[in-house]
Amino acid sequence: MFALFNRLRPHGKGRTGLLGLAYVTPVIVIMGALVIIPLIATAWDSFYSVNPMKAGKPFVGLGNYTSLLADPNVRQSWSNTFLYVIFTVSMETIFGLAAALLLNRVKFGRSFLLAALILPWCLPPVVNAVVWGWIFNPSYGVLNNGLIALGVLEDNKVWFNDRVTALFMISVVHAWRMMPLTAIILLAALQSIPRDLYEAARLDGAGPIKMFRKVTLPLIGSGLAIALSQSTVFAFNLFDEAWILNGSGYDTRTVMIQVFMSAFQNLKFSYGMALSILAMLASIVVSAVYVLRVYRETRFE
Amino acid sequence: MSHMPSTKLLLAALAASTVAFAAPALAQDKPYDGQTLSVLLPPWGTLPKEMTDQFTADTGITLDSQTLGWDEIRTKIVTSMIANTAPASATEIDWSWVGQFGAAGWYQPLDGLVDAEAVADAPTAKIFVYDGQQLAVPYNNDFRILIYNAKHLADAGVAVPTTPDEMLDAARAIKAAGVADYPIGLPLSATEGSATAWYLLTKAFGGDLFDADFNPLFTSPDSAGYKAMEFEVNALNEGLIDPSATGLKDVDIQELFKNGQASFDVAGWAGIISVYNDATKSKVAGDAHLALMISTTGTPRSFGLPEAVGIPTNADNAGAAAAFIDWIQQPETQLGAFHTLGNLPPRLSVLESLSNSGELIDGDVLLKQAAYAEPLIAQGTPSWYPEFSAAVASNLNLAAKGQISVQDAVDRIAAEAAAAAQQ
Amino acid sequence: MSARLMKKALMRAGLAFAVLLLLFWSLGPIYWSLVTSLTPPNDLVSSELRLWPDTLTWEHYAKLFGATSISQGNEVQSVWPQFSRAFLNSIVTALAATLVTVAIAAFGAYAFVRFRFPGRDTLFFVVVATMAIPAYTVMIPLYRLMIAMKLIDTYTGVIFIYVSAFLPLALWLMRSVYQAIPISLEEAAYLDGAGRTHTLIKIVLPLSTPGLIAAALLTFLNAWGQFMVPLVFSPTLATKPLTVLIPEFVTRNYVDYGLMNAAGIIAIVPPILLVIFLNRFLVSGLMAGSGK
Repeated sequence: MFALFNRLRPHGKGRTGLLGLAYVTPVIVIMGALVIIPLIATAWDSFYSVNPMKAGKPFVGLGNYTSLLADPNVRQSWSNTFLYVIFTVSMETIFGLAAALLLNRVKFGRSFLLAALILPWCLPPVVNAVVWGWIFNPSYGVLNNGLIALGVLEDNKVWFNDRVTALFMISVVHAWRMMPLTAIILLAALQSIPRDLYEAARLDGAGPIKMFRKVTLPLIGSGLAIALSQSTVFAFNLFDEAWILNGSGYDTRTVMIQVFMSAFQNLKFSYGMALSILAMLASIVVSAVYVLRVYRETRFE
Repeated sequence: MSHMPSTKLLLAALAASTVAFAAPALAQDKPYDGQTLSVLLPPWGTLPKEMTDQFTADTGITLDSQTLGWDEIRTKIVTSMIANTAPASATEIDWSWVGQFGAAGWYQPLDGLVDAEAVADAPTAKIFVYDGQQLAVPYNNDFRILIYNAKHLADAGVAVPTTPDEMLDAARAIKAAGVADYPIGLPLSATEGSATAWYLLTKAFGGDLFDADFNPLFTSPDSAGYKAMEFEVNALNEGLIDPSATGLKDVDIQELFKNGQASFDVAGWAGIISVYNDATKSKVAGDAHLALMISTTGTPRSFGLPEAVGIPTNADNAGAAAAFIDWIQQPETQLGAFHTLGNLPPRLSVLESLSNSGELIDGDVLLKQAAYAEPLIAQGTPSWYPEFSAAVASNLNLAAKGQISVQDAVDRIAAEAAAAAQQ
Repeated sequence: MSARLMKKALMRAGLAFAVLLLLFWSLGPIYWSLVTSLTPPNDLVSSELRLWPDTLTWEHYAKLFGATSISQGNEVQSVWPQFSRAFLNSIVTALAATLVTVAIAAFGAYAFVRFRFPGRDTLFFVVVATMAIPAYTVMIPLYRLMIAMKLIDTYTGVIFIYVSAFLPLALWLMRSVYQAIPISLEEAAYLDGAGRTHTLIKIVLPLSTPGLIAAALLTFLNAWGQFMVPLVFSPTLATKPLTVLIPEFVTRNYVDYGLMNAAGIIAIVPPILLVIFLNRFLVSGLMAGSGK
């Protein structure tokens, strides 16, 4: 039965080549012109010193990259960003999977539940950060007021005074907004699992946990890989939430805020661009680790 | 025709020659008739349609207004200029960008292009001089002033403070009387508003940030900058500033003041007084008043944070843009901007006329303080100012949270300023 | 017997609790945004917990929809002309980007799964890897390109940038969907003499509806929330979307929280209508036929 889902080989050599190329031509043209060529241009610039306040464009080789390694602010932003990635990706994946399983199960009012699930993602990001800023506000926010009313807190707590708490709170805001993405990807994957597989497993005497491990998880493996990768990429690009909630504070500054400050505030353009390229490489490497692992672990026979 | 600048003459001649055959009579007074001028300004620089319609009627220039939020406008300008295109023919220039945009050569000198007499009437126009050239002309006056809640002071039986020590005493009295728990409103988050408040207090302690060679003057414990930061940290630790201030921006402090939770707004800009006294937005309407900035020397020093309009070097129609700048310098336009958008007029004569007509709350104080509004840094905003100010905000925030000492904070600020200036 | 009933009841209760938890998590902050949009500016700051405004106001919505409004104590023009235009721009760009992205992804992903052509896997890897490129990295070269092609401030320009940004995710998703479809169905059609393209459109696409809808939703919502791209490429109201308009309600010295939240609440309406409408295609029993 599972044999059907073995890797499906492409077939019909030769004749499909041209048609295949025709199908992917729009992909090549759009991605090539609007992403790949600009990327090459920026990567090229990152080996020069581009600063509009200085005349000329001297070649500096890896100079921008080596100064990035020595910059303490940049190092702090990397350490913050890795913590954001760990917090947000785990929150989004665990809650996203739970929400998808729940939606897959619920029969009554599902379309409204789905709409409710997606709502956070529809709120424009700026409004999102402002609403949360209002909730977290140390002197008149609903979080402090609520916790005091419940007797959990005695006094107003300034949530962003402690680094790890601040990173966690910002991660919550980001995860709140991005979790629906993970849930939708996983829900679509869950929907494509044929019901009779569960029946077959049940006849084999499998309990719910075994069924989840043996049937569900392998079959949503590729969905999980996609969801993990995109949440990682979004976490590496975290900007709005940290910027609006805590400005340029060292404790919460992300790599992308550092890129923005270097390139657009301080006008050290190629320095900022070199950092953005490192951020890209880091998120590719981290995503590749998951993707390979997920594909390996969910190979099923 | 004493000295009409050659560029303007040339442009006027060119424009005139194109319309000369069609409408010779109009050519002289409407040299840019039929042109479309793109203007990029924040919401409070975007004048109502009735006013811009008048501009179009007067000059024949159609305005294409591009409005962007405050944080976004700079990103937009930088992106366009690095790509070698003008974001618009006339754009916003904030006082803090002057050093960078001047060094990058992104804006054309306006000397000779615009009405010099009007520029001379605006004291804050000096802030937009880079390398001896006028890069932009202010349209919005902004300087720091002390705002206090008169009822709080009366209830606690204290007078309006004139020195930092008096302010601390007044705050203690207000706190002791139970009028307000945290009388001093000061932002201490890692945001620009916290940095500007520290600059203001540095001036209040009678000092400056840098000497003429940009050597930092705030690192020794008897310097004004050090004392200013110590003032903030001690007031926070003593419970005179809301403990949550380390997470609050300047706009949050304004919410506290409006709600009657703060007695002094030390980060206030002059124009906010109209919001504080607007009963639909504020619970302290009628109680908010202006006072001269506190000072240890007797001189109520303050600094200007005006916004201006400039013309990018590669703008399409610089002539029409200059006509626009001349129009926003006209007294009627500045009065209109005050009535519709609440912008304080940059021209002293216009500000005076508003004060005389009684339209300004505490107009006499406002005018007196305006006279003391100097540039933040006497020799002009340096190109590394944004890096410096981010370092100030971030380190001040760390000091307020108790993670580093005041000495560490000022040392780190000085080190970051030196590193930024070197590159 | 009763133990089984108990278990069932417990399961039900657990499920209900999970649903409530999900609703609280998702709707809590939205509810707070709604409350803020209905609170008079004067009552916004409060040190006590208030779950509903003491006095309700519609003034922020009136500012969005009305003829005039008040700013810093002065009567100014309403934001309705800007707001309605930006609303339209958001809908047009997000919808068009969604349609183009899904169409290209539907065909492209199929080629990546079923056809063999030189450089296929490398191309797929490169396209998917572009997901990781930060917007800042490509912005300046892209800006130069758009100026050269005279596509600044046009729907076409913004839509194609969106497509280039969201195509990788849609392609990857569609590829995984196609991989899960048994090849036997296509072979049957193919043996019946149907052409490749015909097979894809008539047999494969209908089977992939949940995947297509998921890809469309992801693209639409990602485009709906875009900020950096329109900030740079949509300078005027001709194409400027809501996400760029709303921050204008934050002036340098005054944040109109009520107005921002009212605008945010209105901005979630179209995506929600779309989700409710598309839901039955996303979660439907279409897979019944494929699981043999």
